Amino acid sequence: MRELELRLAELREELVFPRTPRFELRLDRRPARIRRPLVVVLAAVAILAAGALALSPGARSAFLELFHLRGATVTLVDDLPEVESIRTLDLLGERVTRDEAERRIGFRLLDLGEPASIRFREGGIATLVYGAPDEPRLLLTQARGGLFDGFIRKSAGSGTEIVRVSVEGDPGLFVSGADHFVMFRNAEGAIDDELSFLAGTTILWNRGELLLRIEAEMTRAEAIELAQSVR
Amino acid sequence: MVSRPPTEGELVERARRGDGAAFGALVRDHEELAFRTAYLITRNAADAEDAAQTGLTKAFYALPRFRRDEPIRPWLLAIVANEARNRRRGGGRREALALRAAHELPSAPADPAGAARSPEGRLLAAEERGELLAALEALGDDDRFVLSCRYLLDLSEAETAEVLSLRRGTVKSRTSRALERLRAHLEVEA
Repeated sequence: MRELELRLAELREELVFPRTPRFELRLDRRPARIRRPLVVVLAAVAILAAGALALSPGARSAFLELFHLRGATVTLVDDLPEVESIRTLDLLGERVTRDEAERRIGFRLLDLGEPASIRFREGGIATLVYGAPDEPRLLLTQARGGLFDGFIRKSAGSGTEIVRVSVEGDPGLFVSGADHFVMFRNAEGAIDDELSFLAGTTILWNRGELLLRIEAEMTRAEAIELAQSVR
Repeated sequence: MVSRPPTEGELVERARRGDGAAFGALVRDHEELAFRTAYLITRNAADAEDAAQTGLTKAFYALPRFRRDEPIRPWLLAIVANEARNRRRGGGRREALALRAAHELPSAPADPAGAARSPEGRLLAAEERGELLAALEALGDDDRFVLSCRYLLDLSEAETAEVLSLRRGTVKSRTSRALERLRAHLEVEA
C-alpha cells in the first residue's frame, strides 16, 4: 500500500490544474446563506395520529428504525398522519427573554447571532427564531438529549433523504426532501403529543449532552456550516 | 528597527475587527489550495472559482466564530469545500483531470539504479500515471475525495477530516478502503 501512496503523491506533481484566478473578494456585502424564506409548518391536528403511531404496538411494527443520535431517533414509517397545517410558532412554546429561557432550561443557550425571538417549551426545549416573526427563516432548537423523535415517510419516491453527517466531529443527521414528522419526548421519556409537527430540511446533531436542531431552507453543506457556526 | 510581517494570529485579529486588507493577506497563501480543493470537487474551473470566491468571502463574515487557537487553513478550506459541494450538485459540465505530457516529466527521478530516466522510461512512467489517474477517476465520490485531499492536495488527516466534515478516524479508515479499491481497479486494468 505504501508504494501506491507514493505513486499518488507523485501524481500530485504531474497534475495540470486550471490556473488559479486572482480573487477579488467583495467584503462589503455578505453572501446570501439561505436563499428562500422558510415557511414553518406546524401540524395542529396530527396529535392523535402521532400518538397512535408512537404508542400502538401494531403501528410500531410497521416502523423500520433507521438512525440514532444520543437522545434522538429517526424512524421510517409507512405513512405520515394526515395533517392540517397551520402557520404559527405558538406550538414551540411561549415567547420568553433569553435570561428567562436560560434560567428555565438550565444551560447557556447557543446561537447563530441574535435571534428575532426565543420560544420555550415546558419540558426543556428552547427554540431560537431567526427572520421575520411571521415568516421565520431558520429555527435553532436545543434541548438536553432524550427529547426528540423524527418520523420519516418510508415510501419510495417520497424524496426524503437522510444522510449521516459530522459536525466538528460530533454525529448528526441531515434530513432533506419531503417533509418529515417530528415529535418531542417529555422529561419522563413519553412522546409529548402537543409538540409534534411537520418539518422541512433539518440538521440535528449532538454536542456534548445537548441535542441541537436547525430547520431552514438549506443544502447539506450549508447545514453543516450553519451547525458548525452555532456557538 | 526592522518590522516583521504580521503573524497569522495577528492578521486574524485584525480581520475579525473588519480589516479587509488583513483578511486578504491572511488568505493569499491559501488561495491556490482553496481553488484546487474546489476544483477537485466541482471539476469545473468556473464553478471552482465561484466556490472559492464565495467561500472565502463567507469566511470573512464567519471569522468571529473561528477558534483563535486553530490553524486557519483547514477552516478556510472546509468553507470553500462546502461551497464546492453545493455547486457540484448543479450538474454542470465536469472536466477531466489532466496530466503533464511525457516530455514535460522530470528527467531524473531516482530509480533503483540511480540512473537518469530514458525517454522510453519517461513514456512508460507517463502511461502508468495515466492508468493511476484513470483508476482514481473510476472510484466513487467518497473514495476519490478522501484520496484527493490526502495525496493530490497533500492535506493531513486532520485537515482532510475538517474539509470533508468527517471524524479523523473515518478519514483513516476511508483512506485505507479507498486505497484497496484503487489497487483493485489497477489490477483489473492490468
